[in-house]
Amino acid sequence: MTDEPILVMKGIKKSFGTNAALQDVNFTLAVREIHGLLGGNGAGKTTLMNILFGLYRADSGEIILHGKRVDIHSPKDAIRLRIGMVHQQFLQIKSFSVLQNVVLGTSVKNKFRLNLAEEEKKVRELSARFGLDVDPQALIEDLPMGVRQKVEILKALYRGVEILILDEPTTNLTPQEVDGLFQSLRVMVKEGMSIVFITHKLREVLSVCDRISVLRNGNNVMTLKREESSEEAFVRGMVGEELDLQSSVVFSQGGLEESVQTVGQNIVLQLDQVQLLNEEGRSLIKGITFEIREGEIFGVAGVADNGQKELAEVILGIQPASSGCVRLYGNTITHKPTSDLLESGISYIPEDCLRDGFLPKASVAQNLILGFHKQKPYSRNGFMDLNAILNAARGLISDYNIKTQGPTDTGANLSGGNIQRVVVSRAFSHPCKLLVAHNPTRGLDIPSIDFVYSRLLQNKKNGMATLLISENLDELLLLCNRIAVMYRGEVVGVLDRAHLEKYEIGRMMSGVRTDA
Amino acid sequence: MFVQTREKVNNRSILFRKILGKVLPYLVAVLAAFAAVGLVIGLMGFNVLKAYETILFTSFRTPNGIVQTLLKFVPLMLQALAFTIPLSTGKFNIGGEGQMIVGGIGAAAVGILFADLPGYILLPLVFLAGILAGAIWGLIPAWLLYKFNINEILSTVLLNFVSFQLIDFIASEVWKDPVAGHPTTVPIGEGGWLPLLVDNPPLHSGIILALLVAVGIYIYTNRTTSGYEMVVTGANPRASKVFGIDVRKMFMLSLVIAGALAGLAGVIEVSGYQHRLIKDFQSNFLVLGLIIGLIAKGNNLAVPFVAFFIAILEVGASAMQRTMSIPVEMAYIVEALILLFVLLSDRVKIRRR
Amino acid sequence: MDFIVQLQSFLKLIFIYMVPFVLASQGTMLGGRTGVFNVAQEGIMLLGSAVGFLISYNSGNTLLGMLAASACGAVFGLALAYFTTTLKMDQFVVGLALFFVGFGLHTLIPKLALGITSVLPRIATLSDAPVPLLSQIPFLGDILFNQNAMVYFSIILSFVLWYFMYKTSPGLEMRSVGENPMAADSLGVNVGMWRYLTAAFGGALMGLAGAYIPMVFAGTFTPNIVAGRGWISIALTFFGGWSPLNIMFGSLFFAGVDSLASIAQVSGIGIPYQFLLMLPYIATLLVMIFTFRRSRAPAFLGKNYDREKRILT
Repeated sequence: MTDEPILVMKGIKKSFGTNAALQDVNFTLAVREIHGLLGGNGAGKTTLMNILFGLYRADSGEIILHGKRVDIHSPKDAIRLRIGMVHQQFLQIKSFSVLQNVVLGTSVKNKFRLNLAEEEKKVRELSARFGLDVDPQALIEDLPMGVRQKVEILKALYRGVEILILDEPTTNLTPQEVDGLFQSLRVMVKEGMSIVFITHKLREVLSVCDRISVLRNGNNVMTLKREESSEEAFVRGMVGEELDLQSSVVFSQGGLEESVQTVGQNIVLQLDQVQLLNEEGRSLIKGITFEIREGEIFGVAGVADNGQKELAEVILGIQPASSGCVRLYGNTITHKPTSDLLESGISYIPEDCLRDGFLPKASVAQNLILGFHKQKPYSRNGFMDLNAILNAARGLISDYNIKTQGPTDTGANLSGGNIQRVVVSRAFSHPCKLLVAHNPTRGLDIPSIDFVYSRLLQNKKNGMATLLISENLDELLLLCNRIAVMYRGEVVGVLDRAHLEKYEIGRMMSGVRTDA
Repeated sequence: MFVQTREKVNNRSILFRKILGKVLPYLVAVLAAFAAVGLVIGLMGFNVLKAYETILFTSFRTPNGIVQTLLKFVPLMLQALAFTIPLSTGKFNIGGEGQMIVGGIGAAAVGILFADLPGYILLPLVFLAGILAGAIWGLIPAWLLYKFNINEILSTVLLNFVSFQLIDFIASEVWKDPVAGHPTTVPIGEGGWLPLLVDNPPLHSGIILALLVAVGIYIYTNRTTSGYEMVVTGANPRASKVFGIDVRKMFMLSLVIAGALAGLAGVIEVSGYQHRLIKDFQSNFLVLGLIIGLIAKGNNLAVPFVAFFIAILEVGASAMQRTMSIPVEMAYIVEALILLFVLLSDRVKIRRR
Repeated sequence: MDFIVQLQSFLKLIFIYMVPFVLASQGTMLGGRTGVFNVAQEGIMLLGSAVGFLISYNSGNTLLGMLAASACGAVFGLALAYFTTTLKMDQFVVGLALFFVGFGLHTLIPKLALGITSVLPRIATLSDAPVPLLSQIPFLGDILFNQNAMVYFSIILSFVLWYFMYKTSPGLEMRSVGENPMAADSLGVNVGMWRYLTAAFGGALMGLAGAYIPMVFAGTFTPNIVAGRGWISIALTFFGGWSPLNIMFGSLFFAGVDSLASIAQVSGIGIPYQFLLMLPYIATLLVMIFTFRRSRAPAFLGKNYDREKRILT
């Protein structure tokens, strides 16, 4: 590592309306370093890098690259300056091939004949060099997540980037794939690249990064070399002074065991050989069989898009099962409509809260009763009781700390984290027997995550059963009594809390069966 | 007590400012639209002030003017509601024209076939037939949407064109009035005529019916559970479905209600105003209804007011063409400009925040 | 003998009828491929028919009339692009508003130009431009190679669009904008520019489609001469799977139904003529039943793209 930093970002400020996302942030990147950008959700890490990549414009501040001041107005400028970014949600065109996605926007040799033979050769070379094994002719829509991420990285490498930004790259990877990724990163650094690694996972950052900068609430907190500090100091940096680490669920070091263990006797939810076929007859989930008891938190692990969403939707009646049986307290509920199930005591936190659980054009109050709107006290004889609705809404807003101007405020005014709070608070607002939660803490900052976890544990104590579907393995390891692992729509195995081991689960997430 | 009165005054001024804030963009839009068109007709050599006077005040100069305005108001308001109800679920009903035509056909058919029945039987039958016919004409695109996911803009428009041929057939062949120059049917039985409120100039009771319907619609969308489901469906169909609402049924319901409303407009024209079915009786009510619905931004409370204003402009416009030879389309351009400015002012407000 | 001659003139008629469908549908397709769903075709075509007719009449030059109509269409396309891409307004609402404007102008402008009540003048209709040698081929020659210039233009245009979209690199970029504007943007593709370009060019084609109608069928202009072909072309675009060559063949099919209806009207079959005139519209509905399920529309059709927002309107 030479002395002169390759990149300096100074005094960056950025606000979205009244929300100050970044307040005077500085960031430097040295040559051939892997620099971790650490912080909880909403800390500003992605915003800062989006500015570097030209997707956002900073309100003030400057960017200095190779000692010279630069203006980045769009991704085109960033790419020209040899900066590349791999986003959390892959920006790929599903109906095009890998090759077409990689070369899109670059100047191709045969512009008016679209013969991509030379370009394909180059892509294959890069694949081999950096250990990113991909077939250029494959269609994106046919590829699994882990491979799609390799395509994202190839897009940047193809453009000869010097600086590569990775935004939460391990979200959709098995532990083994994470190791593979880190290896590729080290090869890239050896070849002269500099890498910014955005994450909220402390352990990853400690294992692969040379330097780590912590952001919190849009401000710099600290920047230290890995060896210079301790895990505890970084945790403090991420959460600040207010959070009581002792009572925090997120950072608990095992004192949780007793409260997690106890499980009741009665079986709440039972699935028996449940299968869902899509329109073309391909099975999306198959042979799903398990049961959840009162007071149990049953986890479902797996890389995204392996049937988790379909599982949740079949249980909730959103998509009717093609075959098999679902029972609630012994009663068959397999083809019952969702509204009946919500009334019978099932609550749902969908994975994409904004798309599947929120109404931006409606008021906050209208949002808070969605799904329960036919029940008393909100509705009586077909007419809505506006007073009851507003009162209940006010209660939820204060209990769950939802930042809004009031129950009549428009949904679109809420920030991402608050949208999540609305959906979560709504799920907890009615006494329920079974909670189906899919990535319930996605997008929440650390205090909010703590709050959700403590509510989950409290409901568990009161006998509620929880089906916790999560792509965050740490979350599952922390809270669950048992964990089932899904791969390609099937349950590969179910592990008991006593036998939970990360790499074992990782193997199962890649399809290796375990005879339980 | 001192504090209480201060609060009262403050609350009142906040309310006043709120109302002003909502009404002001409309006022500005209207003024701007008038100014723009006034400039154009002034450049063409017409007397601008006289034009303004004619278009705005013809409705109020004579009792006939008032009645004409009210008679236009009824179908305009119903057509606008026929657009805003599906709009609240996110669907665009462009078929008000066809739905109104078949409503008229239904009413005329019953009115002619059973012309001898007494009023207390025939009138309800006529209304029932027309509303049902309109509802069916709304059910067809609704069902096509439900079963085959066919875009309702297309299906409703195509059915309009089909209905043009239907009314031509009915008025030129089936119940043709041999004396009339323009395709028209024979009159419907007198039992099917809507009672008059005022004899001279003739104002039929359809206006009361229409206002009752408007109130009913408002109560439905704002106070009932089914209305909540309809509004929420439009706000996010995917989330509504996930949380138990039968979204596709809501789409269908909204289109069928819309068809019934437009059909009612057709019935009222036949039963109350013309007492027979005349080809092209649906006039330009559809397009104006769409404009009204869009200017009112889908708000069912605002629709009657906007509809009344447009009715004034339309009455004034035909007077303007008669007396000053200014083409009647000028009013239409004014109305389109008002819509444009209202839409733009929305954007400006969002930008400001 | 007589039957062959009738068949020949019927097939020739189909190509003549096909032109407005092809032009308007390709225009819709172009905008849609970058995510801009133009629903103002009917209004643009109506305006195009009025403007094209008036300019042709005034100048004595049909080409000038067609160019004027295309220019009007392009302006409408640019307006749509501006209100949706830059101001982020709802595409359907803006499209409807533009339809209103076109609809109103198409009766207003002739009134202003020619007076309120007057008999409308006639213009010369487009003449046939036979292709040397090829037009001599028996039977097919007259059908395919003895048509007016616009027929040739429509067919050539469809092939050019197909080649551009699928065989060139800029075509790949254009398609990516409608499939995933975020991905395209992140790779430096200019999303806004492509939307403006396709909306404007698409609008021009729609205006041209409108201008064609008075110039070929009747030689004169009447209000509403377009008779719903603008709306039908939306269905045709779906029917053709948003792909230029399929759209061209689909338009041929439609033109067949359209011309069949008008021929049947004249030749006196027992059915009342009103029901024959309903045929094209009912046929469109039936066609849609078969295609809406299977049609692959661009993923971001009708949605606006805002770089800084998470919610796509």
